[in-house]
Amino acid sequence: MTDLWDRLDEAIGQLSDITDIRAAAIVRRDGLVIAHNLPDGVDPKLVAAMTAAIVGTSEMATLQLAQGPFARAVIEAQDGKMISMGAGEEALLVALVYKDANLGLVLMGMDRVARRVDEILRPGVRSTTGTETW
Amino acid sequence: MPDDLHPRLRAILAELRRVPEIVSVAIARRDGLLIAHALPKSMNPKKIAAMAASIVGTSEMATVEIGHGSFLQSIVDSSNGKMLATGAGQEAILVTMVRSEANMGLVLLSVDRAAREIAQVIDEAEPESREVEA
Amino acid sequence: MSAQAVHLPDRARTGIPILDERLQGGFPRPSTLLFFSEKPTEKRLFAEHFAIEGAKGGETCLYVDFYRAPQLARREFTRFGSFPQDRITFVDATSSQLLVPSSEAYHIDDVSDLLEILAVIERAIDERRPSRVIIDSMEFLADRFSKDDVFQGWRRLIDAARRAGSVICLLFINWTYRDRELNTIRAMSDFILEFQSSMRGGIIRNTMRVSQLEAGGIKTNWIPYTFRDFAGVTVYFPRILVTGPFNAGKSTVVQTLSEKAVSIDRMGTTVAFDYGNVNVMGIEAEVFGTPGQERFEFIFKIFAREVNGVLLVVDATRPQDFERARHMLALVGPKLPYVVLANKTDLPGALPSEEIARQMGLAEGTPIVRTVATRGEGVREALLVLAEMIIGVR
Repeated sequence: MTDLWDRLDEAIGQLSDITDIRAAAIVRRDGLVIAHNLPDGVDPKLVAAMTAAIVGTSEMATLQLAQGPFARAVIEAQDGKMISMGAGEEALLVALVYKDANLGLVLMGMDRVARRVDEILRPGVRSTTGTETW
Repeated sequence: MPDDLHPRLRAILAELRRVPEIVSVAIARRDGLLIAHALPKSMNPKKIAAMAASIVGTSEMATVEIGHGSFLQSIVDSSNGKMLATGAGQEAILVTMVRSEANMGLVLLSVDRAAREIAQVIDEAEPESREVEA
Repeated sequence: MSAQAVHLPDRARTGIPILDERLQGGFPRPSTLLFFSEKPTEKRLFAEHFAIEGAKGGETCLYVDFYRAPQLARREFTRFGSFPQDRITFVDATSSQLLVPSSEAYHIDDVSDLLEILAVIERAIDERRPSRVIIDSMEFLADRFSKDDVFQGWRRLIDAARRAGSVICLLFINWTYRDRELNTIRAMSDFILEFQSSMRGGIIRNTMRVSQLEAGGIKTNWIPYTFRDFAGVTVYFPRILVTGPFNAGKSTVVQTLSEKAVSIDRMGTTVAFDYGNVNVMGIEAEVFGTPGQERFEFIFKIFAREVNGVLLVVDATRPQDFERARHMLALVGPKLPYVVLANKTDLPGALPSEEIARQMGLAEGTPIVRTVATRGEGVREALLVLAEMIIGVR
């Protein structure tokens, strides 16, 4: 199982390697932190909850609006962008991006890592290692 | 569009809808109540208003937490369109549905202008913005 | 230096107040505890926590470690914070395996000689008279010696502990024994602590449960826990949901419970969620408030997944909202433990709890705690009641 964490950390690292990405997190769809490299002073649990709220709500909104499947949510602010998207059934990916980023490269990179995370988490999405009987 | 909707709001929305790539619009209160819209009823405008308010509220908290300064707008990308949400003054949010191949430059200019105008109208008006149904 | 504290308490605390309370102070002295898990790491962590908890309280502990050199173990113990080092005595079983001389007072020189192993441990117990003994771990013996010899040894260790009035913790992973053997081991134990680890959607959840074979004894649910530096093993609830009708006081509940809470609200109503982190009585909980307005019910689909328990907040002066409260509870999910907070009981017109229970159609025995969230009254109590329900000690 430590292998899983190494692979997830590696995925976060791959994302950070993209110049325009400042930091990133892998978050469970219900708002719990899976892995991250967010800077100190940023509460990863709060970011996880907010990402889940934004993506979950956006997905439901696009359903209402019959706009086809949700792809990503981009939150633009004065000093940067926050991009979040699905990473498989269980997880979401969120990246903090510099203001003048080359979005094309960022999105390509994020899509790639999102697929990677989906692969990492998919087999045995729910696995128990303990035994119930005693 | 209802007859009793503030005529200036009606004018602003009509102007916005003249942009070819803009499919539909809605104005919501920041607490999720619907003020005005030009959506087909099947898309449940009240739900959209609440979801947009939730997304904007969460995004405003997120941008501060991650150190990106003040929130500008949220863009939800789907395969067949985008949903933009931006503040329109202290009490309202402007939600705009856009075609996916849109020329975002023109769209954003129009949306920004409309949001500013809406802010003027609503923030000047009665303390209570009225909830109206189209 | 006296090997025994001036006065040994007759119970060995776990240091987890909510458990200790149910155990009437802790595990009785003497008693035999079986620590069981599929993987070594989980039970060992709790064994270390238990030993160090004793040391912090001035008790002597004997730690028999077949896998780690005492120096390494001591280093790993530092993450539990500071404690009097001389209170934990190691029985060194690794130096001989590494062919180096031991610097411990008690050392096993031939791990292939079961009689020597038992003799050294017995001597350590008889001489030190520790209040807590940890054997880490029995499968080391089960791997090397016959089943019958192991069981004989097991009994010897239990007897030695009993003579010294110690609480002995025998760690065990089962690799080869069948039901019959497991039942024998179980029958020799007073308490069984089981540890389990599972992964759900990329997040590891560690749980433990405590049970007693004696009728009417403790029998907890699976308790989620985590490890916190210095505090050690901590009961951990990843999500306590605070829900209820609009304006019942949910956001206030979250804010008053938490040292630092965040609320996403506009024009007097929550539009997304409230979030805070609470630490009380050895329990850490992440508390989530939902919006109360119907138009935000979609939020439940996002957050109401792995919920440990619910604090259902109602305005005690507004029975017209009770039905809505029931509806929101249903949105979170059936069969979740929940506590009703009858809030705003400082206001005129606040209904008595029996009346609230009747009008809400609550099941018999549903806890109702009267609160004034704006003054922080009753809120912690409600959370503790919920915690007891989740753990299974209520």
